[in-house]
Amino acid sequence: MTRPFRTPNFRGWRALVLHKPGPVTEALLRQFGRLGMQGQVAWPDIPAGSAAEVLFFDADLGHDGQFPWPPGGAPMPLIALIGSEAPGRVEWALTHCPQAHLLKPLGSAGVYSALVIASHAHAAQSRLEQAVASLRSRLSRRPAVLQAVLELMRREGIETSEAAYARLRRLAMASQRSIEDTADDLLRPDGRRRA
Amino acid sequence: MIEPVPLTILFSTSGPYAALGREALDGALMALAEVNSSDRHHFTLVPEICDPAGQTESYAPLLDRSLRRSGARHAVGGITSWSRKEMIPTIERHQALLWYGCPYEGFEANDRVVYLGACPNQHIVPLLAYALPRHGARGGLVGSNYIWGWETNRIGRELLADHGGQAAVERYLPLGDTDVQRLIDEIAAKRPDFILNTLIGPSSYAFFAAYARLAAADPAFAPARRPVLSCNLTECELPEIGPAAFGHLSTAPYFDSLPGADNAAFRQRIAARFGPERKGSAFFLGAWLGVHLLAEAMREAGTDDPDAVLRVVTSRRFPTPLGPLAIDHRTNHAILRPHLARVAEGGRFEIIESAARPIPPDPYLAEYAAQAPAAATPRGQRSNLRVVR
Repeated sequence: MTRPFRTPNFRGWRALVLHKPGPVTEALLRQFGRLGMQGQVAWPDIPAGSAAEVLFFDADLGHDGQFPWPPGGAPMPLIALIGSEAPGRVEWALTHCPQAHLLKPLGSAGVYSALVIASHAHAAQSRLEQAVASLRSRLSRRPAVLQAVLELMRREGIETSEAAYARLRRLAMASQRSIEDTADDLLRPDGRRRA
Repeated sequence: MIEPVPLTILFSTSGPYAALGREALDGALMALAEVNSSDRHHFTLVPEICDPAGQTESYAPLLDRSLRRSGARHAVGGITSWSRKEMIPTIERHQALLWYGCPYEGFEANDRVVYLGACPNQHIVPLLAYALPRHGARGGLVGSNYIWGWETNRIGRELLADHGGQAAVERYLPLGDTDVQRLIDEIAAKRPDFILNTLIGPSSYAFFAAYARLAAADPAFAPARRPVLSCNLTECELPEIGPAAFGHLSTAPYFDSLPGADNAAFRQRIAARFGPERKGSAFFLGAWLGVHLLAEAMREAGTDDPDAVLRVVTSRRFPTPLGPLAIDHRTNHAILRPHLARVAEGGRFEIIESAARPIPPDPYLAEYAAQAPAAATPRGQRSNLRVVR
């Protein structure tokens, strides 16, 4: 069954706006109010203890030192506020991997769709990163799988590596663990599962 | 000295939804006559009336020419959301103010627009809150093929899902299209519990006529069993639809049959101007409110400067046929009390339920999701993210 589409809702979200106070931040705060969000403006530094579900940042005057994480390492969706389209500034903004942007000066619209796009892209990106991390880990554990196949051939007198691998897969499925974890268990001197 | 103040009035009084445009124009002109004949005001409103004939691409150029030529800083107009969205860039460029008086699908809050019609939490949400428990949650969604139909039905679909139901039928007709037979055939086959109708103009009239024929052939489609629910069906269209509308439901912040002295006086003024048979409607009132509130705010501000007018109009209540009316300063939307009415024989609306009090506008439905059952409000995206420890 497919989940019905839900109207994206940002009620209760905290937005941090890393931008000099002025018409841009006023327009943002006005739109946050209509969306049931709380906005906090910070410039040039983010005060200690700040927390937010989304960060808007100034692409015109911003610099790496303002962010408590290295470029590309933000733990929440980022929305770039772009005034100057000078390639150098756009390039710098890109190093922080914003998922959406808004052009300055801000009108009465734009924040809602930017939030929808940025939060959607951020969630998709997080899922992708998790999948890549899991694949990387499995890749790095390939030697153990190979060793476990050899160990099974030796221990159980299996003749081919294909049959030994199939045996390893069945063991993994029966214990509902990954092939890599099952291989690690097999190779442990006492042959017991890791706690 | 009486100062002339130009005002652009822009309604499609010809074309596919001309009946609605003429109704709104009548409302605007009645308010204008009242303002100009009253000695409360130190100005007289000089209208420039434009007819875009329902052609979406004509709205922006006509508005631009009128604002330039007359120097007007205010426009009252627009029926469809298409036309409103077409006009907004021009309104912004001129730093003018648009007074928009129709129900619409929400997800907009422009600083240069005053929204006097109902938004979704004031129309479809209370309408379905009434209908779903009584008729069931397998709805049929029919609409005109543009943003009003799409978005209102999308909200409808979500409300159905929140009640464990779904859309049994969902179909759209091009604006002005009256070929409804396929739609009716599908409804006859799938038998939804009710119909949510966001068709406009002749498409809607044709649909009511065909649905009445279906009900005559199969009593399971009688209005009492499977009603047609509308958020934009008003008095001005009932004569077009005739008996086919009887028994069906509509929601609006204004019906001609609303009780109370404020509305009684309003109806008397309508009768005096247009004759005793003429009824008011939400479209008539929306345009009337636009001109009336503009004049009241100008009188108090002492200028037609849009920012000054907007400050006044969002800062207090104004006596209106709806009772004291306030405009929410956060969204520029009217705080409205939705009523639900049934079309009675003779072609008038019989009010069957009213909200206990006026409902603050929530154009982005932020509050609705917050109040919905927990299962219906996934907040999965939200996490507690610390920026700086």
